[in-house]
Amino acid sequence: MTELRSAAQEAAEDLFFGQVVIIWARWFVIISGVIVVLWSSNNTSELTTAVLMVVPLIAINFFVHGRYLMERPINQNLLLGLSLVDIIVITIIVLFWQEPNGYLSPYYIFYYPFLLAVAFVFPVRVSVPYTLLILILYSVACLVTDSSLVADPYQLEGLIIRLITMATVGGLGAFYWRIQRGRRRAAAGHGMKAPASS
Amino acid sequence: MSHTFIEDTSQTERVKKATPDKPLLPEWMKETKEAASSSDLIYGQPVIVAMRWILVASGLLLILWNPDSLSVMRVQILVILLLALANFYLHAQLLMKRPVIDEVVYVSSAVDLILVTVLILIGNGFESRLLVYYFPAIVSFSVVFPTVLTGTYVGSTIAVYGLIGLISGGDPMIILTRLLIIAAVGTCGNLYLRIERSRRKEARESQEHLMVQIRERQASTAQ
Repeated sequence: MTELRSAAQEAAEDLFFGQVVIIWARWFVIISGVIVVLWSSNNTSELTTAVLMVVPLIAINFFVHGRYLMERPINQNLLLGLSLVDIIVITIIVLFWQEPNGYLSPYYIFYYPFLLAVAFVFPVRVSVPYTLLILILYSVACLVTDSSLVADPYQLEGLIIRLITMATVGGLGAFYWRIQRGRRRAAAGHGMKAPASS
Repeated sequence: MSHTFIEDTSQTERVKKATPDKPLLPEWMKETKEAASSSDLIYGQPVIVAMRWILVASGLLLILWNPDSLSVMRVQILVILLLALANFYLHAQLLMKRPVIDEVVYVSSAVDLILVTVLILIGNGFESRLLVYYFPAIVSFSVVFPTVLTGTYVGSTIAVYGLIGLISGGDPMIILTRLLIIAAVGTCGNLYLRIERSRRKEARESQEHLMVQIRERQASTAQ
């Protein structure tokens, strides 16, 4: 029988309905970022630089959220591009925003909401590489800042704990996404034969 | 010819038990508002079990890799093994397709949070590196539990961790940032649960509408 909903349509719906999760994840990180910036800046030039980094994120999220509210959500490529911008900004924060940087920076936790939100919205073939990219970016950021980390068992253990939990959050998100897709398909009657006239 | 429905998930039978009767649709498609939470639990339980196995495996790995004193190590291994035992029970229920009592799932997730909190307390509170274990624990129940319960669990975690952070002399700004991210993870998980519930409801309604139309057409053709 002909399926009522194509895979492409299903993916588009995933994006349409799910992108609000990414939007809210970004709002939470923006709020946290604004608090950090306002609280921890020591002088006006530092605050100016930090605000210049946060304002584009706010502008992006206003644009994306506005489009969503108008029921004209952005397309997959743009959404993925913006999700990449998010993790690049967080990596920059981990690398450069005030000392301590790298492994000792407390801002690595900003990665978690994005890991989860992207795993909920994109198919596994996108969300798994995204998770891996975050793990690589964060590991590189830690090692670039302090390569002696490898020789310190305590810090290395700490880094591995973080990487395991990041991978777990991304993995659980993708796992749940698959479960939900199965449930949705079942509810929509996929794999069901239409009644035929007797 | 009779209607044939292909059920392709092993959990379908268990969902049947959680859903009351309704005309027109096959049983596995029925999901009333009251039963929604229960079936969310059934389908979401593998996420909780998987999270807990990862917690057990990584915990064991870290204990063996960088052991503390013998007495501390004994306690840590005992806790990990008890957690593994409890998770084995829940996993076995899943494998045998037996419905687990909702309250057991709720309590076991609360125990996960308490366990992480205790480990954080032992590990110098604010300075503990185990804060990150909150995230998978929160993800696993936020995509399964009803909003009120998720809110209660996340709210309690925020309150307790905030208190621990302040008492152990942590930087209030960093504590606040951590609390916001804990809230973000819980919110994203539950938001997704609600979105998916609403999508399934729409899919079911259109399916039901379609079935009515097909049967009406069949009835008129037969006449």
